[in-house]
Order: sequence, then C-alpha cells, then structure tokens
Amino acid sequence: MNTRELLTHLSKLENGLDSFSFSELNTTEAKALKKSFESFKNGLETKVFGGDSVAALQADALTVTSINNSKEHTVIANVSHEIRTPLNGIVGFVDLLKETPLTQKQFELTNALSKASQNLMDIVNELLEFSKLAAGREKFAKVPFNLKNLVNEVGFLCRTLITNKDITLQVTMDEGIPHSLIGDPAKLSQILLNLMGNSVKFVEKGKIQLKVHFIKEENNEVFLDFDVVDTGIGIANDKLNDIFETYQQAEPDTQLKYGGSGLGLSIVKELIGKMKGQITVQSTLGRGTVFKVTLPFEKASTDDVQQTVTKQNKRVEGKGLEGTKVLVFEDNTLNQKLMENRLKNWGCETIITANGLYGLKLLENHHFDMVLMDLRMPGMNGFEITRRIRNNSNYMLQTIPIIAISADMSASDKDKCHEYGVSDFILKPYNSDELQNMMGFHLNQNRVGNTGTPNNWVAGPKMNPANLAPILEECLGQIELLDELIRLFKQNMLEFIGKVKMHLQNNNLQGIGFAAHKIKSSLKMMEASSLFEICETISETCKESKDTQALTVLYHRFLEEYPKVEKFIDLEIKKLK
Amino acid sequence: MKPKRLLLAEDDTMLASLLKYRLEKDGYVVAVKHDGHQMKTAITEQLPDAIISDVMMPYFSGIELVDYLRNDLKTDIPIILISAASNEENVVSALKLGANDFIAKPVSPTELLIRVARELNRYY
Repeated sequence: MNTRELLTHLSKLENGLDSFSFSELNTTEAKALKKSFESFKNGLETKVFGGDSVAALQADALTVTSINNSKEHTVIANVSHEIRTPLNGIVGFVDLLKETPLTQKQFELTNALSKASQNLMDIVNELLEFSKLAAGREKFAKVPFNLKNLVNEVGFLCRTLITNKDITLQVTMDEGIPHSLIGDPAKLSQILLNLMGNSVKFVEKGKIQLKVHFIKEENNEVFLDFDVVDTGIGIANDKLNDIFETYQQAEPDTQLKYGGSGLGLSIVKELIGKMKGQITVQSTLGRGTVFKVTLPFEKASTDDVQQTVTKQNKRVEGKGLEGTKVLVFEDNTLNQKLMENRLKNWGCETIITANGLYGLKLLENHHFDMVLMDLRMPGMNGFEITRRIRNNSNYMLQTIPIIAISADMSASDKDKCHEYGVSDFILKPYNSDELQNMMGFHLNQNRVGNTGTPNNWVAGPKMNPANLAPILEECLGQIELLDELIRLFKQNMLEFIGKVKMHLQNNNLQGIGFAAHKIKSSLKMMEASSLFEICETISETCKESKDTQALTVLYHRFLEEYPKVEKFIDLEIKKLK
Repeated sequence: MKPKRLLLAEDDTMLASLLKYRLEKDGYVVAVKHDGHQMKTAITEQLPDAIISDVMMPYFSGIELVDYLRNDLKTDIPIILISAASNEENVVSALKLGANDFIAKPVSPTELLIRVARELNRYY
C-alpha cells in the first residue's frame, strides 16, 4: 500500500461525502458525517503526511512515479494507528444514517459511502493482519473439511471477480485425492483466492487455471500442489524475488493500474510458511505466471466429514421470479456480489445483509417474498435468525419461505433445519438452475392469501433521554463550553459505534469492553441513563458471559437509542441558547 | 507567583475538556494528553508541577505511569489518578507504587480542584 492508494480511497470517500451537501440531504447525521470526515482528513494531513495537504500530495502522486520508500513506511506505520479512530467514526455515522428513512438516491449514496469506508477499513485491517502474522500471533485451525467443495467454491468465487474480461477459468483436481482433510480451510481459501485474485487482475484476455495435484502421502499426511496458472502480463525474471517482499509490487505503476495494498503476496507467503508449506513462482514476461503452492494436510477419517446430503430436485414449470422481493443473509462479500448479480438476472428485487438483527428489522418493516439464508454467519447464525423470524408475531414472517444455503451440511444440521423452521436447503456449490427452481417452488407454495398487516413499533416508556442541567453547572454556566463538550460527546459516541462494529466483526470482546468502559463517564455526565445502562450491560457481557450474540443485540439497541439522545440534547441546547 | 503547570492525561476528550476548563479557571496552566505515549514524552519535556492521569489509558496505563515516575525517573512529582470506582485493586497498587491520591469516576471537577490544590499545598 502506498500514499497513492490511500489517496484514491480518500478522494472516493470525499466525493461520496460531497454528494451529501445537497440541501435536500439536510439530516443531522449527514452533516455530522461531513464534519467527521473533515476532522479525519485534517488529522491525516497533520499526523500522517506531516502537514502537507492531501491535495498537494495527490498532485505529487500523479507526477512522481515512485514515492520515497522510507516515507511510505512511515505513512504505513502511522496510518494504522491514526486512521482507525476517525474511520471508526465515519463507519459509525454511515451505520446511523442507514437507520434513518432514506430516499432511493440517498440510499444509493449511503451505500456508496459504506463501501468506500469499508474499503479503507479493509486496507487498514490488511495492514494489521500482516503485522499480526509477522509477529506470530495468528492462530491456525485444525478442523476436518471437504477439499473438493473448497476448491469448487474458490473457483466459483473467483468467477464472480471476472467482470468485463474475456477470461476462461478452469479448476481441475487429480483423481484419488482424499476429499476429507484436516487443516485450516479458511486460510487455504484465503491463499488460493489471493493468488487467483491476482491472476484476474493481471489477465486481460486468456485463461486462469487452478490445478490441484497429489504429490505423496506420508505418515497420514497428504502433500498437495496447488498450481495457479495464468496467461497474464507475467513478471520479469529480476523482479521475481521481490514480489513476496512487504509492500513491493513488481512494477512501480502496478499500484496505479491494478490497485492492491502490496501486502497480498507477503500475507500469502507468511500463511504458507506457518502451514509448513512452500510457494514458488515461475513467469515469462508477456506470457504468464505460475504460482506453485505445496501444502501438507492430515488425512481425515470418513467420520470426520459428514457425507454430503443428497441434492433435492423440485422442478417447477416456467415459473418466473420477476419482481420477487428477496432478503439475503450473507456475510461473505464475494458471495454477496454473486448473489446480487444472480438474483438481479432473474428480475428479483434484492437486499443483502450480513447483519442478523438488521435483517430482522427489515423483515418486520418491509414486505419480502422470500429469505435466502447463509447458515454460517458471524454473530447471530442462520439457525438463530430463522428461529427469530418464525417466532415473530407477524403471520407473514411465520410462513415466509426461508431457503438455507450452506457449504457443508451434516445430518444434524439437516435435522436442525427442520427444527428451526427452514423451508428448504441447498448445498454450495450449486448450479443456478437448482436455486431458481427451488425458489420458484416455494414461492408458489406460499402464494396463498398472505394479507397480514405490518407490525407497529411499540413505543418505550416516557423518560428524558438525557439531562443537561448538571453538566451546565459544571461548566459554570458557560454555554459555549457546553456546546464544545456536546460536540466532543457526539464524536465519542460515533467513534464508539464504529469501534464496536469493527470489534464485533473481529470478535474482539476485550476491545468492546474497553470502548464501552471509556464512554461511561461521558454518558454519566450527560445523564443519558438508557445509553449508560446499555453500556454497562455491554461491559459486563464482555467480562462474564462473552456472548457475542447478546452483544450484537445490545449494539443495535445502542444504535436505536442514540439518535433519540442526540436529538434531545440538540433541542435542549437550542433552548438554552 | 508563577502559575502551576499541570499535565492531564485523559483519553475521554469530553471529560478532558471540562477538566481543563475548570483547572484553567482556577489559575493553572494545563496541557492535555490523550494517550500514555504522549504523556511519557510530555513529562520529561515539560516537567510539570503535578500530573492527573486516568488509570485506563491507551498504550501506557496510569499504574505504569506511576511506576515510571517513581522508579525510572525517580521523581516525586505529585500524581493523582482518575479511576472507575470498581477498580479498587488498581488503585491500591497505584498508591503502593507511590501515587499521591486518586479520584473516582464519575469525576466531580470541584473535587478534583480540591485534591490538586492539596497536593500543591494551596489552600482555599
């Protein structure tokens, strides 16, 4: 990653934010978001770029082909620290903004913002991941998994990365490779996706292959070769050794043309090393590149990996899905993209969310015809979400078709599907006809007089969300100071929201506990008792039960409650002035 | 008389601003630091007359700060810690290490003023 990359993302974010200064978009959140970005940018300028303005650096970056290496390193070292807090604030704002009623245009803008800030966050996280790996703090799983499914899945996901390019993608596997292995499937996917993702970047027209070869079996260990072969631009011989180096990309303008943090291959190499494997690369400039990864895996007994469930075939004659409103629960961004494209092609109106509670809220307040559910979601898993949908008092939700999607489904999972009220399930990888048929079938089944009334929100007990009198007294009656404190208060709250969101994604309970502890004083000073209680429960949950699901619920309660508090404070201060 | 100089380490920006205002109003010169690293550098650069620090600070806790002052710098600059009431263990170990005083959260600025004045031998 270098300054240019960062700048590109910054200006994307800025462009998105600029769109919000339209007068019609006069919501408090949008304004606050804009303000937060200003302070984010100023902070970056002074702390990271040592006072140079972003605009000046941007002009610089366009003319200078390679930026001084040591400067980049300083930037990178600083970035992860300096960027995260204000970025958390931005992510927090966007989350709040999403909770407000939006027009179609505003909705699109919010989504774009969400994406831009998420991209930036991804880069920062990649940096942190690398430092974690380098410091040996990354843990590796040792679980049974189905290799064939994994390889197919990777190929499948990789296909979704190919847009507007004439590339054929081929995945082959030697006969006789045991399908059931023990290792870390997530890390293996990460390695393969990273290498193949690179190929997609560097091939304009041609072919990408993933070939899995059996090498040998020794002491119950299976050695496999994963060859990623492409007909891309290739890498010059004298550059081959550099490409695994941190922050190095083969050519100085690689960044500009193809993006990327320059950390991808370093991460891959570190991962492979830690998995006791090795990686080699061969390449001819202009012809293509071959990455060869050799990795050992333990062989699993057949009991370890449950037999795949037989596929179901429910044919429906020519039933179109046009206009069907589908809510998809899916956390993997590639799968999200894939699903979005697929459903769009069938004429469905689709909303995709990775957040169980958010999805539940959508279901309660909007009409949907069908739910597609990834069973393995972080936080609240698909079974739990299904249970909550079925337990809703709304009759429509008790009967809405829910199709579960899963890569590995054990017999007990199958039972659980029935138990929790899943209407049907489909195994990944599946072909799109299968899904289309299944959706059509269930849609037909359910199209019998669904005329329930939408749910009404129950109002909470009447109590002031905050009280400014005590803090005004501490300010010795100085309204200006109070105004400043309120500004800081809002900033702290939004940073908190962003931080907790990130920590929830990373399952960092300690981080959540710390963040909650930190804002308690502010909440107490404002006598924001509802938020204070939520925070205290969050603190306790982090220390004691460590229940991430409960934390997600609390986080969303905070998200719901906070705007009320902010609105109240704004009204009160207006009165005081 | 030259005004007394204070270093305030508090990462809650809102609380920090309020305390700064109240301390300045009382005639102190106050520098605010938002994390332990900044604090450490500021101590040797500014040689303040007293230090007020939150116990739970990023990078370098209030307890570590007391240890650093008393055992590494070997200085007896007065230090007052701000701590959550539930953090009794930490408070005790900080006092053992040589912290002068502590104040429980939620912080009353008036109480803090009195405690600071006491450490600096100023009387109301």
